[in-house]
Amino acid sequence: MSEPSGPPKTPRRSFLRGAVGAGIAGSAVGGAAAGYAYRASRPPAASEVMAGDLQTGLLPAVPFHGQHQAGILPPPQQQTVVVSFNVTAEGRAELTDLFRTLTDRARFLATGGTPPPVGIGAPPSDSGVLGPAVVPDGLTLTAGVGASLFDDRYGLASGLPAGLTAMRTFPNDNLDPAQCDGDLVLQLSAGHADTVLHGLRDIARNTRGGMQVLWRIDGFTSPARPAGTVPRNMLGFMDGISNPDTSDVAVMNDLVWVQPGGGQPSWTAGGSYLVVRLIRMFVEFWDRVDIEEQENMIGRRRATGYPLDANSLYAVPDYALDPNGDAIPLTAHMRLANPRTPQTGSSRILRRAYTYDRGVDAVGDLDMGLVFTCFQQDIKRQFEAVQTRLIGEPLVDYISPFGGGYFFALPGVTGPGDFYGRAMLS
Amino acid sequence: MAFRTFLPLALVAAGALAAGIVAGCGSSTSSGNVISISTGSCGAQWQASPGMQTFEIYNGAAAGAEVDLIDPANGAIYAEVSGLGQGTTAPMQVDLGSGRYAFKCLIEDTGAITGPVVTIGGHVHGAAAILPVTADDLLQPAREYHAYVTAGLQVLVRQTGALAADVQAGNLAAARAAWLPAHLTYERLGAAYGTFGNYDTEIDGRADGLPGGVNDPGFTGFYRVEYGLWHGQSASELAGPASQLYQNVVALNAAFPGMEIDLLDIGLRTHEILENALEFQLTGQDDYGSGTTLATTAANIAGTRELLQILHSLLAVRYPALPSVYFWLDRLQSLVDAQQQPDGTWTPVSALSTTAQEQIDAACGQALQELAPIAVITEPRRTT
Repeated sequence: MSEPSGPPKTPRRSFLRGAVGAGIAGSAVGGAAAGYAYRASRPPAASEVMAGDLQTGLLPAVPFHGQHQAGILPPPQQQTVVVSFNVTAEGRAELTDLFRTLTDRARFLATGGTPPPVGIGAPPSDSGVLGPAVVPDGLTLTAGVGASLFDDRYGLASGLPAGLTAMRTFPNDNLDPAQCDGDLVLQLSAGHADTVLHGLRDIARNTRGGMQVLWRIDGFTSPARPAGTVPRNMLGFMDGISNPDTSDVAVMNDLVWVQPGGGQPSWTAGGSYLVVRLIRMFVEFWDRVDIEEQENMIGRRRATGYPLDANSLYAVPDYALDPNGDAIPLTAHMRLANPRTPQTGSSRILRRAYTYDRGVDAVGDLDMGLVFTCFQQDIKRQFEAVQTRLIGEPLVDYISPFGGGYFFALPGVTGPGDFYGRAMLS
Repeated sequence: MAFRTFLPLALVAAGALAAGIVAGCGSSTSSGNVISISTGSCGAQWQASPGMQTFEIYNGAAAGAEVDLIDPANGAIYAEVSGLGQGTTAPMQVDLGSGRYAFKCLIEDTGAITGPVVTIGGHVHGAAAILPVTADDLLQPAREYHAYVTAGLQVLVRQTGALAADVQAGNLAAARAAWLPAHLTYERLGAAYGTFGNYDTEIDGRADGLPGGVNDPGFTGFYRVEYGLWHGQSASELAGPASQLYQNVVALNAAFPGMEIDLLDIGLRTHEILENALEFQLTGQDDYGSGTTLATTAANIAGTRELLQILHSLLAVRYPALPSVYFWLDRLQSLVDAQQQPDGTWTPVSALSTTAQEQIDAACGQALQELAPIAVITEPRRTT
């Protein structure tokens, strides 16, 4: 193996093969993009569903640039993939190269356009899965970093976001280390599975030397059934009815976005902590449970989603009138998660859950459950406070968290010259 | 080995037809960009603006054709449509910059025809053209590779002979020591497996695909012997397979002078050797007991480097990212070599730390990305 090793070693831009695609595909973008980010806590108006566009994969592009990443506030899209990576880049320069490449690819995928032709110089620059022009299909990419990225490899230790750790193990967890944590997490979401997988392939082919998949899970959002309600999870219950109002900037600044100052490294402002929990649901067991017991565990009617003490979907349960849990048991999931007291208001999270479905387990039961993701300003004050209240809830017999991680979702990419993690890396 | 062969022309033509229909419906290309070729003509005068353009190439000639958009000064190719069947249309997409352009038509059984030269003015940067590689250009590399394989096979005859003799003598410890260097010699010849034909299956075939798996009588060669040597099989059980391996190598060595290396293979194998390493060696799938698939990977890297060396002068003027190829091959090699212990033994893939495995897989994946364009660039093309 003494062959000459060619010209000097120049790894710059080495993850970036093939220029970014040119132009914006189609004309479907228009002013409709803003309509995509409807209030998470309310069902969309018929005009916002854009059923025809959904069918054809022509959901409008979600603007990529902004103070915050675009995939955090909108309601869950129809399809998602959450992928955790370990970074294999060597040194700070290659890490920076990786983040620049990720940004370029995400910008192109979210915007859409024609992949660049390659002449006789290379295989096609795009997989072609979405046809000759890449459609945005409402794609968002959310990028987050794990605590392990701040170890001694890249000299980032002093920039560790306050309170970012490996994921804590809770008493009812059954965590598989192979499906936990990671240096970097990406969540791609869009209107269709092909859009999401096209995006994942595009990112992977452009970053092969820089990171390797540690674990991955695919998820989907069911249609609201009946129409006008809220999508259900595999327990048959509506999921995420009482999210904070994402259109209320003050509420988002109190609950979701990290604010400047406050003991945080300055680069974190505008980002948000992301908790991912992969939660198996033992659906066969659940299906053998009486409906009254199911509803008491959740705190809502399965058929309508109404709180057990009310007659409408978005009614606020009145726990003060029900101190002994006669209507809504004190151990109901909904009541423990959000007791709606002044003391617990600041522990609310922005919840974005998807359903996963991936085959069967060792005894032939269906392996399905929840890709639970939530965003918050402070993991300890919010997710961990909520999860601590849920320890030992009756529902734990039917669910089992097995993976996930704590991450910091980076501040948004503010313009064409910006890139993910620029302030973190500078 | 699962190396691909090129599609027959008929399939390529059908694919081009389908692509033409799609583009015809969905493309916003203006009608001025239709280029009609016919017997004796390579399109009329045309006009285009700088930037991304899609030409619709219509083949009105009496035979199949390939159409290239070239730089008339030196014949370098900006874009090509190949396998364009008679009466069909296919899109040609290109990013046009300032410069001189012409279409060149290569109609089957007809000499090349170059159409009108069109100048695009201004100072706009467009896609670069690449000089085509011809079959003639590949003759010398093929000769060099033939010589490399010839030398390797001569070594292999000696090594497999010694291996068979060790088994025959009942000295299985010596046979285990002799097995690896022999196997690595073979694994350095990766671009020739297609040329070897059935010899490759007999010498280096896997058990998968055989109904009886590792116990199937059709399981022969290096992996068969490896399986026995590392699964407690006796010398008498292994004498047959080891001797058969030697005899197959001797037969291959005798036949190889009459074998011709397909010119297509030289470029294709620059990435396919490591594609197979990633699929079968780095996954540990081809570990039949010796735990040496990383050594095999190292041999595959050496085989890839040999191809790059003989193609170097062709690539240096055609592939600007060639330094990246070497950069990632070097990184891959150093990561793999680090798994050889001072006593010469290798870490089995199954015993790698997560970090080591991730680094190796990442470097291999990136090396493959960098290598992939070479097969496209060095595909032998007609120019006259």
